[in-house]
Amino acid sequence: MARTLAMFTDTSLCIGCRACQVACKQWNELPVEQPEWTGSYQNHAHFTDKTYRLVRFIEKPKENGELQWLLMSDVCKHCAQAGCLDACPTGAIYRTEYGTVNINQDVCNGCRYCVSSCPFGVVSFNHDTGRANKCTFCNDRIHNGLGPACAKTCPTDSIQFGFRDELVPKAEKRVAKLKEQGFAGAHLYGADSKGPLGGLNAFFLLLDKPATYNLPEKPELPQRNVLADSVFSVGSALLVGVTAIVAFRERGGKGDGHA
Amino acid sequence: MLKPPDWHMLIVWYFFLGGIAGGAYFTAAIADNFGGQRDREVVRIGYILSTLLIGLCGILLILDLGVPTRFLNMLGVFKFWDPMSIGAWMLGIFGLFAFVSSALSLAGRESMAGFRRVWSLIGTITGFFLASYTGVLLSNSAQPFWSDARLMGALFLASGASTGMAAISLLLNLSGESAGEGFKKVKRADRFAMIFELLVLALFLAFLGSAAAPITTGHMAPLFWVGLVIAGLIVPLVMDVAGAGMVPAVVPALLVLVGGFIMRYVIVMANA
Repeated sequence: MARTLAMFTDTSLCIGCRACQVACKQWNELPVEQPEWTGSYQNHAHFTDKTYRLVRFIEKPKENGELQWLLMSDVCKHCAQAGCLDACPTGAIYRTEYGTVNINQDVCNGCRYCVSSCPFGVVSFNHDTGRANKCTFCNDRIHNGLGPACAKTCPTDSIQFGFRDELVPKAEKRVAKLKEQGFAGAHLYGADSKGPLGGLNAFFLLLDKPATYNLPEKPELPQRNVLADSVFSVGSALLVGVTAIVAFRERGGKGDGHA
Repeated sequence: MLKPPDWHMLIVWYFFLGGIAGGAYFTAAIADNFGGQRDREVVRIGYILSTLLIGLCGILLILDLGVPTRFLNMLGVFKFWDPMSIGAWMLGIFGLFAFVSSALSLAGRESMAGFRRVWSLIGTITGFFLASYTGVLLSNSAQPFWSDARLMGALFLASGASTGMAAISLLLNLSGESAGEGFKKVKRADRFAMIFELLVLALFLAFLGSAAAPITTGHMAPLFWVGLVIAGLIVPLVMDVAGAGMVPAVVPALLVLVGGFIMRYVIVMANA
């Protein structure tokens, strides 16, 4: 496996220009969608099968009541332990040699189990093609020595692209600097490869709690309970089986036995 | 912001009919192995019903796919930790077991009865699997409520048993076999299954606590409490135990079936 690639989204640098969102649409030839009223400058409200990069506009008043913008360019996290990949029954979802997670459109049959298995609500069902879609980490570009379109176009370097083992120390330095400057809430989300989901290959620098950005505090792998649930099911099967045997058993000599 | 998978009525019907198929099959196989000659109709109806239903289930699932012609792609991969993957394989394996059991029970060749019993006894594993894995599939997702439910598989299995047995008793009744010993035994087994299902349902709700709100409160609540708990389980149980002879036997069987459908409906649609 080649060295793991990553995207580091530093929300403290995001100015909400949405160039990433547009670059993503253009490079990946994603058609326009009807905008929707979200109560904010944000559009769309959620990831869709045609929107893989999405700038979140979060309005959060400071303690003194002054309005504060929290801007975050959100994207598929390319989890090291990916729920969508584990859920996919056709093998359409696969991990590339760079550690990114991709959906092979020639194999996906549209069962939608990945959609319900993504802890971040990223994977979306495309009703036009009948397949699941999500950010490809610009698979075509990274295989030709280019960075993803969103990172390439970002005018403030809020989105950075590189090798994971180089980006993480860089991000940690950035957090230390922000803390020095008085941003007490600055922290990394998904950078720790020993953390939830084995770390995220698209990780973030956040200025507030993950919940403020609609991110789960501790995202979990959906498949974590298969064993426990199966054990309960087997127990249930044994009990049902025994009661059915009791109900059908021919009692001592009274029955006419097997033919 | 989580995304529900867009699973609607085709999936509700599959979960319901797949539960009946699994339940009817293991009921028939148990009757075949542990019952006697008088249970012959139970055995035959159970095998044939499960064979027909599993065929219908396959069609429902294929129709639900975004690209139906690619349904065989599920059989290019096997992931033992993935309920959807094992489920796809098991659907076929169950179909094989049910088909062979049906064929052998219809052939009526007594020389084959021994083989049929052993074959079907092994097949009960696939029947139990089919009735329960759909619950495990839902609870191993990232969705709230579904993923909080540790007993979803156990509950679906209990419901598969009660509805599978109700379906057999209904068919026995319609074919004029309701006076026989086999009919009484299915009713008895169904009674046990319903009591067990009520217990599992109580534990299911107790473990979920406030996470069960999507079905126990809100717009699903009347269907859940009245349709499933009262009309689908308690009333048919009381009719069976106390009102035997006073109520036509088809009534409790129909109520159990409707209750089983409502269970799948409220659980799937709570996240739709």
